Amino acid sequence: MIRFRWLLAVALPAVLVSGCGSGSGDLVRRAADDFTAAITAGDSERACGMLTERAREGVECSSLDLPGGSVEAVEVWGDAAQVRTSEDVLFLRELSSGWRVSGAGCEAQSDRPYTCEVGGP
Amino acid sequence: MKRFPRDNGLGLAFGLLFLATLVGQAFAGNADLNSRRLTDGGDPIGLWQYVTSSDFAVNVAENWQSEYLQFFLFIFATVWLMQRGSPESKPAGRLGAESDEDQLLGPQVKEQSPPWAKAGGWRTALYSNSLGLVMLGLFIGSWLTQSIAGRSSYNNDQLNQFQDPVTWWDYVLSADFWNRSLQNWQSEFLAIGSMAVLSVYLRQRGSPESKPVGTPHTATDETG
Repeated sequence: MIRFRWLLAVALPAVLVSGCGSGSGDLVRRAADDFTAAITAGDSERACGMLTERAREGVECSSLDLPGGSVEAVEVWGDAAQVRTSEDVLFLRELSSGWRVSGAGCEAQSDRPYTCEVGGP
Repeated sequence: MKRFPRDNGLGLAFGLLFLATLVGQAFAGNADLNSRRLTDGGDPIGLWQYVTSSDFAVNVAENWQSEYLQFFLFIFATVWLMQRGSPESKPAGRLGAESDEDQLLGPQVKEQSPPWAKAGGWRTALYSNSLGLVMLGLFIGSWLTQSIAGRSSYNNDQLNQFQDPVTWWDYVLSADFWNRSLQNWQSEFLAIGSMAVLSVYLRQRGSPESKPVGTPHTATDETG
């Protein structure tokens, strides 16, 4: 029993580390690339389709004006991700339909949550 | 075959209780997490995805570490500290690591003594503290697991609340990590203290954790 618990104690961190592998990171990067490409191309409708339902609330999809930029850093933790681009900070959420942007045009507020032009808290 | 379950009843019973309650925790935790995810705009996840998640791991590990800390401290504290009248305590005259004679070491070893008890030198010194050291190792391993899984779960919450994720060092200095640790530790220390004191005055007939029913309150180191 003690040996079994030792195994679990050692194995749990390994499982956790492997759970944060590059697979999710690649998917998030691709979703962010698609989103920023749509913004850069001025295709607001396509960018709007990549938002979560909650982020789309109250958004005028025909005139989405966001910074965009190229993806520089990706952090994925479970079903949530943060992407830093050369111009912006994006937040993404993994839903059954794939990774969707839950916040864009976000600015840090010291110890408080980011404020976002689209979506956000 | 019938002797095995009887001879190992405690290990088997608590092993089964452990597995049953772990499964129960998995179902309840999955339902709780899914409820929170639906509230904050996420999608529910299945049971397997939940039991391999950091959310489940941190909830398991934070309880394990406190249990092993409890046993580690109890094992070492009872070498040096006493509680007069408690069956969990040694009498005043035996406080400390005790003599080789008392511990059946050196010339007093028996033929059936464990090999490392007979070996002498560092092996006997290590074996003499093996129970406490293994508990300490299990505590450190579980606490480390709690910190790694806790950071992962915490960062998931941070991102879902549109806040920056934190490093492992930031996490082990965070209120979340210490709140999880201390709320478990205080309950373990309360349980040990209660047991040490209540067992002076109360009895459970037939239990080795209790003194025999008729034993005076002042009698220490007796089990029945």
